[in-house]
Amino acid sequence: MRKGIKDKVAIIGCDMTKYGELWDKNQYDLLFEAVQNATKDAGITKDDIDSTWIGIFYYFTGLSGAMVEDILRLDGKPATRVENYCASGMDAFRNASFAVASGAYDIVLACGVEKLMDEGGSGLPGFTQFGHPLYPMPSAPAMFSMAATRSFHEYGWTKEDLARVAVKNHENGAEHPKAHFRSRITIDQAIKAPMIADPLGRFDCCAMSDGAAALILTTPELAESYAHSDDYILVKANAISCRTNFPWYIPPNGPGADFTSFPATVKAAEYAYKEAGVIDPRKEIDCAEVHDCFTITELINCQDLKFCDRGQAAEELKNGTFNWDGETAVNPSGGLKSFGHPIGSTGCRMLTEITKQLQGRAEGRQVPDAKLGLCHNLGGAFSVCSTTILSQRD
Amino acid sequence: MHIINLFLKYKIHKREKNIKMIGIKSYGVYLPKYLLPRELIGKAWDFPIVPGTRSVAMADEDSLTMSVEAGLDCLIGFDPKSIDGLFFASTTQVYTEKDSASLIATVLDMREDIITADFTDSLKAGTTAVSRAVDTIKANKDIKSILVVAADTRIPEPSTIWEYGFADGAAALLIAEEDTLPLSIDDYYSISANVTGPWKRTDKDKYIRTFEVKMDTKFYFESITKVMSEILKRNNLKPEDISAAAYYYNNPRMHGTVAKMMKFTSGVAQNSVFFQLGDLGTPMPFILLIGALRRPKPEAKIIMTGFGDGADAILMQIQNRDALRSLGKTRMGFTGHQKSMASLKNYNKYLDFKEIFEKDRYIRKSSAVTIWRDTASVYKWYGVKCKNCGSIQYPDMYRSCYVCRVDDQLERVKLALKGTIFTYTLDHLVGGTYSNIPIPRCVIDLDGGGRVLLNMTEIEKPEENVQIGMRVEITFRKEHEGAEFINYYWKCRPERGRL
Repeated sequence: MRKGIKDKVAIIGCDMTKYGELWDKNQYDLLFEAVQNATKDAGITKDDIDSTWIGIFYYFTGLSGAMVEDILRLDGKPATRVENYCASGMDAFRNASFAVASGAYDIVLACGVEKLMDEGGSGLPGFTQFGHPLYPMPSAPAMFSMAATRSFHEYGWTKEDLARVAVKNHENGAEHPKAHFRSRITIDQAIKAPMIADPLGRFDCCAMSDGAAALILTTPELAESYAHSDDYILVKANAISCRTNFPWYIPPNGPGADFTSFPATVKAAEYAYKEAGVIDPRKEIDCAEVHDCFTITELINCQDLKFCDRGQAAEELKNGTFNWDGETAVNPSGGLKSFGHPIGSTGCRMLTEITKQLQGRAEGRQVPDAKLGLCHNLGGAFSVCSTTILSQRD
Repeated sequence: MHIINLFLKYKIHKREKNIKMIGIKSYGVYLPKYLLPRELIGKAWDFPIVPGTRSVAMADEDSLTMSVEAGLDCLIGFDPKSIDGLFFASTTQVYTEKDSASLIATVLDMREDIITADFTDSLKAGTTAVSRAVDTIKANKDIKSILVVAADTRIPEPSTIWEYGFADGAAALLIAEEDTLPLSIDDYYSISANVTGPWKRTDKDKYIRTFEVKMDTKFYFESITKVMSEILKRNNLKPEDISAAAYYYNNPRMHGTVAKMMKFTSGVAQNSVFFQLGDLGTPMPFILLIGALRRPKPEAKIIMTGFGDGADAILMQIQNRDALRSLGKTRMGFTGHQKSMASLKNYNKYLDFKEIFEKDRYIRKSSAVTIWRDTASVYKWYGVKCKNCGSIQYPDMYRSCYVCRVDDQLERVKLALKGTIFTYTLDHLVGGTYSNIPIPRCVIDLDGGGRVLLNMTEIEKPEENVQIGMRVEITFRKEHEGAEFINYYWKCRPERGRL
């Protein structure tokens, strides 16, 4: 029986580093900075932290919870590294939430960091070393491209429809002081960019980046006695769904075989909406950070999250539904398109963005009157989805 | 296994033991997709222009993969598990220690209790392997059939005359003992001759060398005419009794001279190969023979002759024209492959195929253990079928069904070698590097069930030519050379006419 953690966990502080090609900083600098600022935001010291969950994807960023001890020197406090593809950061948050909701700890740190740019910038490193020696291993953009090809075929979408996602997100990101990329682009630029995995070109893909983000969690009762007693944020739902690592082997009558929907997103959204009591996501969700590792991913996710009907995302986007001042603001921060994707950190960055949106202190575009927000990660070959719903305090 | 020099003086049909007919039960051919026009070679090096084309295998092909293709063609309609042995013949074997026959037999899904051997180092390895197959079947009551596959991918030194000749291809002959066969093998005769050229030293030579071409030619004429004259003589046959002579040659003029020396009737000496395909090396006599079988004459006598440090002549007779015609119709064979070939548009593409200009390759890790454990999926092309819901899935890696989620109800099934593209991408970002791009990654629904992900080969202008709904054929290729050994796997290719 799925009981959930609705209203049992409060976010009382959060922050993130500048995202970018941060050659002058290592992963220790990045995480230290994010955690220090988050504790300041919460009005606590690091010694108030009882336990930590940290999202890290790559072994070269860091192994095990001992990473946290090395950076923060928490005097032997418990820490666990969480890896769940691109959802690693948000799954660290999920585990941290459970720790608070269970009553095991009072103050818990959820954070994520990734240092990709030290490895060079030609796509995610290490892919040749993963998995089976013979079965083909497409690059990350190639995995999602297969969904683009199929969506073009089924829905009649075009390169221009994809380009609109990039244009919107870069438009938003241009306003955000911590974004990796702060330039606006045109549809024409996006369409004419070099191919990465046909039909996805350079502007259809998020970049590699470095960054870290951190959140401080406690119970709503204890939240009353910290800095954000008036505007702490409540966790309404937190769900993940795991599907196959190899969607290309799903038999035609199996779940997710159509390549025009991500069943992990559908399932995680179903869990989260049920837990939070959301009936009509399009109307109820004011702002959302939705995984846009690739432009096609955002379009399909908007459908799977029920912000619009299947096949309608491109049209809705064109009509402004997902603009920062539209009906459901999607990626008002600029998304992965503007921030890049330091994998282990991204989920915590999204949670930080939405927390600040709901508190009315967004660092970039402030969505007007945002009360209920959603964060969404999709990782692997659409294999792991994490969905979190946050709201203003009662 | 190296060539055994033999001088054998018995006739097969005079044996004391009561043996049924020994002969050729089936045949198969593989010719690579591409032809290199000789004009392009001439233009590349300012050589005199020579007419015709020659066949060129791609970078992901070698003698082993081409043998698999020829074997698949040969075994259409036959159960691979019914065959008792596989002999592989080539001068371009992929390893000098580690045989190819055992892997070819595995990929063809043959049994384990069979005999396998490689016949290498001489261009007559193919005819020698056929002779040894006949001997083995005759001598061993448990061995009733042996598949002989021959393939070569000899790379000529660029800017030499060899570039006009050396060609790539493979052929297979299923040698069997039965009451009646399409083609009987009635006798063979071999000579061994130590000639001075051409040669290629094991460790030191990248390309084939020769001391004096005129000397090579003299040896060729001597060996090839002697072996054919002797086999005629000992069977009391005259040249005019022979309907087709399929003998190795590497130069059309030499071919004509041999025909004259042998006094063959016009049209008997098979010359259908060189102009279009070139000097195919080891499989050449097989392919000439298969070409000759397209229009079988009743009870025609045929000689197939291989050459290289001596020569083998094999005397055959057509026994069943209907069976031969039926073979012709049910496999791609010589004609089917020939029809689906395409010419390269520039010489550099050929250099790329042969990896003469080295480009960055996409090297992955490998594991001999994983490949061994997954042999059924990765080499034998098996998937699984759910006994509960009936869905067919690949690879054979899990115990729980993708669709109905029931545990332990999956049983192995053989997958088809044809399918339709469901979705695809053209991957420019290969394993974090940009090399040999783009690679088409295709999600394919196989005929009869099973969805797989395969890279595509033999595709020009993928941006225009790869499409959802496209029909593809599955082909065994070199995937990468991680861990310093050759990692083979399956790829897809645009339809060529696999039957």
